[in-house]
Amino acid sequence: MNRKRLQAVVAKEWLDMRKNKMVLIMMALLPLLMVGMIVGTVYFMERLPDAEFDPETGDSGMGLPPELEALGYKDGVIILLNDQYMFYLLLIPLALPVYVAAYSIIGEKETRSLEPLLATPISTTELLLGKIIAASAPAVILTWLSFVLTAFGLYIISNPTVFAYWMRPVWSLSMAFQTPFLAVLSTACGVIASSRLNDPRAAQQVTAIFIVPLIGLSLIVLMGKVYLDLRIMGWATLLIAATTAGVVWLAVKLFQRETILTRWK
Amino acid sequence: MIRTEHLTKRFGKLLAVDDLNLEVERGEVFGFLGPNGAGKTTTMRMLAALIAPTSGAAWINGKRIGQDDESVRASVGLLTENPGLYPRLNAGENLSFFAKLHGVQDITGQVRKYLALLGLWERRTEAVGGFSKGMQQKLAIARALLHEPPVLFLDEPTSALDPEASRVVRDFIATLKSEGRTIFICTHNLDEADRLCDRVAVIKQRLIRVDAPETLRQGLYGQSVRVQLREKAPAYLARVRELPFVTEVFETAEGFRVALNEPENHNPELIQALVAAGAAIQFVERESHSLEQVYFDLLRESETEA
Ligand SMILES: Nc1ncnc2c1ncn2[C@@H]1O[C@H](COP(=O)(O)OP(=O)(O)OP(=O)(O)O)[C@@H](O)[C@H]1O
Ligand SMILES: [Mg+2]
Repeated sequence: MNRKRLQAVVAKEWLDMRKNKMVLIMMALLPLLMVGMIVGTVYFMERLPDAEFDPETGDSGMGLPPELEALGYKDGVIILLNDQYMFYLLLIPLALPVYVAAYSIIGEKETRSLEPLLATPISTTELLLGKIIAASAPAVILTWLSFVLTAFGLYIISNPTVFAYWMRPVWSLSMAFQTPFLAVLSTACGVIASSRLNDPRAAQQVTAIFIVPLIGLSLIVLMGKVYLDLRIMGWATLLIAATTAGVVWLAVKLFQRETILTRWK
Repeated sequence: MIRTEHLTKRFGKLLAVDDLNLEVERGEVFGFLGPNGAGKTTTMRMLAALIAPTSGAAWINGKRIGQDDESVRASVGLLTENPGLYPRLNAGENLSFFAKLHGVQDITGQVRKYLALLGLWERRTEAVGGFSKGMQQKLAIARALLHEPPVLFLDEPTSALDPEASRVVRDFIATLKSEGRTIFICTHNLDEADRLCDRVAVIKQRLIRVDAPETLRQGLYGQSVRVQLREKAPAYLARVRELPFVTEVFETAEGFRVALNEPENHNPELIQALVAAGAAIQFVERESHSLEQVYFDLLRESETEA
């Protein structure tokens, strides 16, 4: 593995991304929407009278898990909702890289640049790792940025309890450690689809199909009303990390230079 | 510099390259000719370590393909059939990327050198997607040269170029040859092959013939001269037939075509004999067969053999 060549691939991908307005807009859109949605709903809920949240009197009332009962209904409901939103934020690293990753190899096929590229001394690992890093790093940074922006928003419009719950370690640690793996996982799935298929739209759809089970998994956790603690999140992180490593390995294994180069459309 | 032994490539049932034995010397410009689908690009891809041979072996600069691919790729510059540039990046960025992949030391220097040599320096900051075909082709040639490879593979370097751009590229190839590089060219432009190449190979899956264009001509047609007369007469023909060094005479519309072994030595005698017989000679010229003629005849010959 040659660091210079890896860096060259990453730099070229970023340069290309910077010149592709469509990709930039698409990448910025999802995080902005998420942050807006979270901060917006909390803003409106904060302005509703407390009585609205009481399951006995209000119509938006809902039961709270025992861990949150001490907080009072309004804060409890907002915090519960924010916990769900946090899952949505964790979908950003899964969703954002799909477009770029699906294009990673297909784009090279379309411009016919794959042949000159593979004629250089670059190794398959360098090429694919470069592509994966280039597509996942912006997603990771945008996700972290969304988390911080939301925290900032909550700090301003909400109360210290809600803010403290947003910042509690189970979430900030998940954000810190799961985001990179999720982004790489999604990107590697995209790269596999991109090496195997010739149509970018098909590759995006296939990548999305890879990712749906992951989304399902997170929803199951929510619906089971599991109150997430550090232990569960720690195991989840390990599981995600292991899956990611496996999928990256697979992406490199499945990249057959000769077939990719010469397969007819 | 380039050597192949029984090089063979199959795609499933299809035999694309069959038992190819070639040897290209250092500094040689070698033309690779053959009809569409003859296996030219496939051979180049094998030699550039892009695809693996089904059987047989090949060496580039002493390194065997399939065993030492990284050094093979380092000593080879490849111009692919399609330029394959990144359309959103500009010319300089396209080249820098490839220079980095090749581990070039002085990236800016090399990029500047080849952009300037190919007349693209002024346009270096424009997105390549807006370049004309000819400019893209030149940029792709520059890209193949950044790491100063001793061996160059050029797949149809002047197809899709206008006559002027083709000329620029041809002159450039001549310069590269003078630098001592080994150049392997696939082309359908037979005039160009004739002008540029020290030797040409005609292939159609198998190797049909390989030699210098001039040797191929002589092998097929021997040497002959065309004589154009003001008026033809049977006596002249009979007189020429009598000459001991003449192997064959054909009548043409304006005179004869005379096949003879050493035109340099025997032409004066031929002319004397004709003049003595009273013929009024207008022109005597060396009969020239185009490489195109050679090419067709070789292919036809190989078909009748098969
Ligand atoms: N990946 C592949 N799979 C199947 N067949 C292939 C593949 N690559 C090439 N071929 C076949 O191999 C034969 C040789 O193709 P190749 O591209 O080497 O020809 P060529 O001499 O370069 O032709 P052209 O002058 O048209 O460029 C053709 O019949 C082609 O269809
Ligand atoms: Mg070809």
